Amino acid sequence: MNTTSRNLQTIVFVLIAVGMIALALGGYLTSLSRIFLNPLIEVQAWVYSRFQVAQDLLRAPQDMARLQQRNAQLEAQVSQLQAQIIELQQQLTEARILSALVDFARANPENRYQAAAVIGRDPSPFLRYIIINRGSDDNIRRGMPVVTQQGLVGRIDAVTANAARVQLITDAASVVNAKIQPSGAQAVLKGQASGDLLLDLIPQGVSIEVGNLVLTSGLGGGYPPNIVIGQIAGIRSQPQELFQSATVQSVADFNQLEIVLVIVNFRPVNIEPLMPEGNQP
Amino acid sequence: MAILMAFLVFIPFLVIQIGILSNLPLLQGYPDLILLAILSWSLRPEVRTAWQWGVIGGLLMTLVSAMPVGVYLLAYLLVVAIARLTRRVVWRLPFLTMLVMTILGTFLTEGLSLIVLQLMGRDLSIRFVFGTIFIPSVLYNLILAIPTYALISELAKWVYPVEPIYES
Repeated sequence: MNTTSRNLQTIVFVLIAVGMIALALGGYLTSLSRIFLNPLIEVQAWVYSRFQVAQDLLRAPQDMARLQQRNAQLEAQVSQLQAQIIELQQQLTEARILSALVDFARANPENRYQAAAVIGRDPSPFLRYIIINRGSDDNIRRGMPVVTQQGLVGRIDAVTANAARVQLITDAASVVNAKIQPSGAQAVLKGQASGDLLLDLIPQGVSIEVGNLVLTSGLGGGYPPNIVIGQIAGIRSQPQELFQSATVQSVADFNQLEIVLVIVNFRPVNIEPLMPEGNQP
Repeated sequence: MAILMAFLVFIPFLVIQIGILSNLPLLQGYPDLILLAILSWSLRPEVRTAWQWGVIGGLLMTLVSAMPVGVYLLAYLLVVAIARLTRRVVWRLPFLTMLVMTILGTFLTEGLSLIVLQLMGRDLSIRFVFGTIFIPSVLYNLILAIPTYALISELAKWVYPVEPIYES
């Protein structure tokens, strides 16, 4: 009797369970299960969050030390990568400049060039000179012209074994014999205290316009001919004066000089002994 | 020791001056770190090698600059002379003295340079030079005068330590 009753109970229980599962699979118990499960989930979430807090509290010192160590490692890595980026950017800039200089040298095969880095400027505010890292050991001699891929920069003024001083064409004592294109008129380019360039002694009859190109003429033997200097930016012409003058916008940026080229196969000619005595300085 | 110290101070100062500060002009004015170092050294009462510092500074500047030989040497020696004289008269307020001497020293150095360059035939307008070189250079030097004085003073104290006086 007892066994039969127990079997019956088991069967009923299994049927109820199967029925419940079937109802659940059919989606009929969703609303009912939500009523029971939602508070349970809330309780479960609360318990778990409390447990996490307690666990973090116990683990905190260990984690903190590990995180700090990791943070320091990552910060060091970031600094290293930032330094690498800066270095690569500098190399890229240098490579671009060198590439442009190589193009310039290829375009002017008649000259031999020695590249040099600018390492300083004259400490006097009255003078416009730069110091380069090539000297007599690299066959640099006084008077050699200095250019960039854009155009004329100046000429070597003084030389030591491993360095040289370059007088920029913007220096107030610099004088360059120039010609204006397309007219072909001769003139004299003078540096100004302000760092500007003044083209002087342009004959009155010559027609010049803003934008005309100014190049070295090669007269006087101080510079080779046909090196670009700049463009005429403004003209000053008074009918009562013997000559016109013009301001010149240089093609080279004298504040951003980093690498320059020295024309090493050019030797300046000293014409002073050929000048009449009265004209000698 | 103090002479050797001049080279140890001037060479890094010169490198900073021609490598960095000359690329950061204020209008067209540059600071003169060598002048500031010489002034600071000369204004210290314990220093006995101010003239030597003036000569070394002047020679080093002559070496790197295209300025005619002797201009910096003469300017710096004049600055040392004025600084030594001032130190005898004014023995208090060292920072104020340094600032006043910086203005005087800058005008003296730049003024002498201007006179020599004009005598050599350079076309330099006084008005232009005053506005774009003199005044900015003075301002630049004034900014750097106090840190330079503080640094050189510490050096002077180290080179010329004050001996304690014991009463018998």
